[in-house]
Amino acid sequence: MQTPTIAGSAQPTLARGVRLQTDPKTGNSVLLFPEGVLELNETAQDILTLCDGRTVSEIIQALAEEYDVDLEMLAADVREILADLQRRKLIELT
Amino acid sequence: MMAPRPYALLAEITYRCPLHCPYCSNPTQTRSDQELTTNEWTRVIREAVALGVLQIGFSGGEPLVRRDLPDLIRAAREANLYTNLITSGIGLDDDRMGALRNAGLDSVQLSFQSDNTDLADEIAGARAHQHKLDAAAKIRAAGIPLSLNFVIHRRNIDRLLQMIDLAESLQAERVELANVQFYGWAFLNRAALLPTREQVVRAREIANAAKARLAGKIDIFYVLPDYYENRPKPCLSGWGQRYLTVNPIGEVLPCPTASSAIPDLRFENVRARELDWIWRESESFNRFRGTEWMPEPCQSCPQREIDFGGCRCQAALLTGNAGNTDPVCELSPNRASVDALLRNLNSSGGQTRDWTYRVNPGTRPVIFGAFERRAKV
Repeated sequence: MQTPTIAGSAQPTLARGVRLQTDPKTGNSVLLFPEGVLELNETAQDILTLCDGRTVSEIIQALAEEYDVDLEMLAADVREILADLQRRKLIELT
Repeated sequence: MMAPRPYALLAEITYRCPLHCPYCSNPTQTRSDQELTTNEWTRVIREAVALGVLQIGFSGGEPLVRRDLPDLIRAAREANLYTNLITSGIGLDDDRMGALRNAGLDSVQLSFQSDNTDLADEIAGARAHQHKLDAAAKIRAAGIPLSLNFVIHRRNIDRLLQMIDLAESLQAERVELANVQFYGWAFLNRAALLPTREQVVRAREIANAAKARLAGKIDIFYVLPDYYENRPKPCLSGWGQRYLTVNPIGEVLPCPTASSAIPDLRFENVRARELDWIWRESESFNRFRGTEWMPEPCQSCPQREIDFGGCRCQAALLTGNAGNTDPVCELSPNRASVDALLRNLNSSGGQTRDWTYRVNPGTRPVIFGAFERRAKV
């Protein structure tokens, strides 16, 4: 499926009924949603923690300051993860 | 064997229900023991959280029948669980909706029998459809995410497109189009419920097209009609791996249909044992855990960690032995029995046949047809 590019000005937030919380068994973050659990890897966890009203560009910027990685690759990763979460209706873009 | 951690608990808090759907997966014969009390359920919830459970589904029967449902939801939320209500919507008035929302209910899965009122009410054996439409509006107004569930069978499968349209007009976020699975009452009513091959082929096309058309708008989950598949479903992601069910009288089941489908397995009760012991140590949870129990052709099959040998309940119901390969699998020595059933149905043109409506615990089933036919009860 063709993934539409997510605009840098879009503001991702958790979709209605989706909760981000810590799994007491592992200490890692999980997304809880209607009849599903998604265990997050470190990148997804970092991105979702920043989905607090910031724009996609601001999220990429904040992650770039934290990690020493190629900015273009980082931006592509962030957009891919957000697109995947949006497809599963776990985040909304406004 | 090391037990994995469970993620979800299905809390079947009652087998009582105002509907009489002939495809219900509840046992056709239930013991009349007392339902677990509020305090007992609260303890079960606490013990489930300690095991690692993150999600709880309140189901039944119709969970709204229990007046303490908001208390149970509050207890689950206080334990940080994600709470789903799986309901027919019957009994969901404004007061109850408010109480459930205030208790912290996270999401609702609302069942529908059809998009068409007359057909829906005939299938439910009750005037239910209009109440469901009202319930959907109340759930929306309360700001709670809404999933719709349609059980698909011979009598409604030709209206799949209209059912998807209904989900769209009710602004559901998710819709489950679940081809009927044959357990409990549905197993009893197989001859009336099994769709024809032609119907199944068309339904799949409609579901796939709708999935593509509504991507990003409604999440459509299509449950395959497994008798028509070549390989079995990966039932429960493996026995005793991720899920557990506690039924109304406190029995702990690896799968909600196990108590009726596999009568020779002894299921432990939360009134006698702690959940942790039952999950880790009990014979019922360990019997089919992992791959060691598997017979051939599963034992040497490259798919064995993908489909886990299919469904234990189905193996028990169709072959008389829960330890057999799911006979839906084309490699099963028992596949011929499934094929014979399909051949028989498809050669008879799939005409309407009578079904037996589900009845509540403690009452006797009535077979409609020979002496009397009543569309509505």
